Amino acid sequence: MEIFLDRLFSGVTAGSIYVLIALSLVVVFRSSTTINFAQGEFALFTSFVAWWLTTKGLPIVLALFAAMAVGFTMGVVAERALIRPVRRRNETAVLIVALGLFTALNGADGWIWGANDKQFPEILPHGDNDYFVIAGSRLHYDSIGIVLAMILVVTLLSLLFNRTPLGLQMRAVATNPESAALAGVKVGRVLSLSWGLSAAIGSFAGVLLVPVLPPNQLDLSSFFSILIFASAAALLGGLDSAKGAVVGGLAFGVAESMINGYATFLGGSMQLTFALVIIVVILVFKPTGLFGARRLERV
Amino acid sequence: MTAADSADNTALGTVSRPLLEVAGLRAGYGAANVLHGIDLSVLPGEVVVVLGANGAGKTTLMRAIAGLIGHTGTISVDGQIIAKARPDEMLRRGLGLVPQGRGTMTAMTVRDNLRVGAISRSDAREIADDIERWCTVFPPLANRRNQIAGTLSGGEQQMLAIARAMMARPRLLMCDEVSLGLAPIIVQQLFGVLRDVNQDSNTALLLVEQNAELALQIAARVYLLEVGEIAASGETEQFRGNDAIRKSYLGY
Ligand SMILES: Nc1ncnc2c1ncn2[C@@H]1O[C@H](COP(=O)(O)OP(=O)(O)OP(=O)(O)O)[C@@H](O)[C@H]1O
Ligand SMILES: [Mg+2]
Repeated sequence: MEIFLDRLFSGVTAGSIYVLIALSLVVVFRSSTTINFAQGEFALFTSFVAWWLTTKGLPIVLALFAAMAVGFTMGVVAERALIRPVRRRNETAVLIVALGLFTALNGADGWIWGANDKQFPEILPHGDNDYFVIAGSRLHYDSIGIVLAMILVVTLLSLLFNRTPLGLQMRAVATNPESAALAGVKVGRVLSLSWGLSAAIGSFAGVLLVPVLPPNQLDLSSFFSILIFASAAALLGGLDSAKGAVVGGLAFGVAESMINGYATFLGGSMQLTFALVIIVVILVFKPTGLFGARRLERV
Repeated sequence: MTAADSADNTALGTVSRPLLEVAGLRAGYGAANVLHGIDLSVLPGEVVVVLGANGAGKTTLMRAIAGLIGHTGTISVDGQIIAKARPDEMLRRGLGLVPQGRGTMTAMTVRDNLRVGAISRSDAREIADDIERWCTVFPPLANRRNQIAGTLSGGEQQMLAIARAMMARPRLLMCDEVSLGLAPIIVQQLFGVLRDVNQDSNTALLLVEQNAELALQIAARVYLLEVGEIAASGETEQFRGNDAIRKSYLGY
C-alpha cells in the first residue's frame, strides 16, 4: 500500500509535468496541425533566462513572469519569421525548421550560459521536510504545487478556449482556417498568438519544474526526455484535445511510475522505450488518440 | 429647371454605383492562370448569377473576389479599388462568401459556427438575436444548436453555411454552388431563403451555379463563364430568349 501510494503520488506529479508540456503542444497543434518539437527548447531557453535573472537578484516569481514573456515573444517570432514562410511552400519543411530551431536553441543555451549545470532557485518548497504523510506515504509540497499549477493552467486554458472571442477564433482556425478567414478572423495573428501562448505555458512549466526534476539542476538535456514523454501523452489523449492532454499526461505519468515501482526488473531505461512503444501503438491503432478529432496526418 | 434636366437628374439618381465591380481580373494557382480577364459588376441589392461548366473557373472567381487567393486587375467595392484584397478586409467592406463544399467548422457546435460567423461584430445582444433568427429560418438548425456541426447532413451543413455567412450581415452574399449534391426539395428551400434574404434586407446576391434553371428564377442578370472568360452576359430575360444560349445551358 505504501509503495502503491508512493508510486501514485510520484506518478501524478510526473503526469502533471507531462500534462503541462503536452498542453503547450496541443495549443499549437490545435491551430496549426504542427507538433512543435522545439517546444522543450523554448522552455529550456526561458528557464535559463529565469535562472540568469535570479543571479542578477530578481525574485524567482518575477523571473517566472519574465521568462513567460520572453517565451511568448519567442513563440510569436518563431511562428511569424520561421514557420509561416515555410508552411506556405511545404508542410514537411515545417518539421525540419522546428528541428533546426530545437538544435539551434540548445546550442545557443550552451553558448550563452555554458554547459555546466546551474543550481536553480526553487519556486516550490522542496526541502527534505516539506511533506505531508498520508497512509505512511510522503506527499511532498512541491508535488502538490505542480499538480495545482497544472490545474491552474488547465482551468485558464479552458476558460480561454470556451469563454473568450480569442478562444473562439483559435478553435475556428483549428477546425477550418479558410472558413475562419472568411468570417473575418485574422488567421495569421491567431497562429502567432497560439505559438506565443504555447511557449509561455512551456516557460511556466520549465521554471516550475527544473528545480524539482532530478538532478534538481538546469542542464542542456533537461527537457529532452520530458518532451518525448509529453509527446506520447499528447498523442495518447489526442493531439487536438486539451482534455486528452490531461488524461493522457496523468495516465502516462502513473503508468510509468507503476511500472518503475513494480516491474523493477525492467530497469529505468525502459521508460523511454515505453514511451516510444506507446507512440507507435497509438499511431497504428488509434491515430486520433482517446479524445482527439483529428489524426496526425503529417508531422 | 427644364423637364430634360430633371429627367437627367432622376436617371443619375437611380443608376446607382456598383457595389462590386471587377475589371480585367486574372487569378490562378501558382503558374497556372485560370481566369483570363474577367469583367463583372453587381449593383446594390441586385441578384446576379454566374453560370459555367465544371472547371470553368467559377470557384476561382469567388475565391479571388473574397480575397482568399491573389489577383491582378481590379476589384472595387463602392467604387474604391481594393489593392490588397484579404478576406477580413473584403468582409469588412460587406462581402461574404458561402464557399463551395460548405466550409463547415466540423469540430465545433452549430452555435459556435454561427458565433464565428459574427466574429467581425461586437454587438453581443444582437448577435444572440441573429443566431435565434437563423435558427428560425432554418428549423433543422434550431434543434441542433449544441450538436457538433460535422455530424449534420449535407443539406443542414449548407443551411449552416448560409446562416454563418449571413451572421456577418454582408451587403453582398456570394454563394458557390449551394445546390451541389442536395435533394431538389432542399435546394428549392435554400433558394427560397436566398430570395427572402435579398428582398427583406436588400442584400445583393452573386450566385455561382451549374443548376441554371433554378438560378435564373431569381437572377436579374447572368454571366456565362467559359474556361476563364466571360463568354456572354445580359439580363435574364434576354438570356432566356437567346436560343443558342438557352440550348446549351438549359437544355431545351
Ligand atoms: N488549388 C488549385 N490548384 C491548382 N489548380 C486548381 C486549384 N483549384 C482549381 N484549380 C484548377 O482551376 C480550374 C478552375 O477551377 P475552379 O474550381 O475554379 O472551377 P469551377 O468552375 O468552380 O468548377 P466546379 O463547377 O467543378 O466547381 C480547373 O482547371 C482546376 O483544375
Ligand atoms: Mg467550383
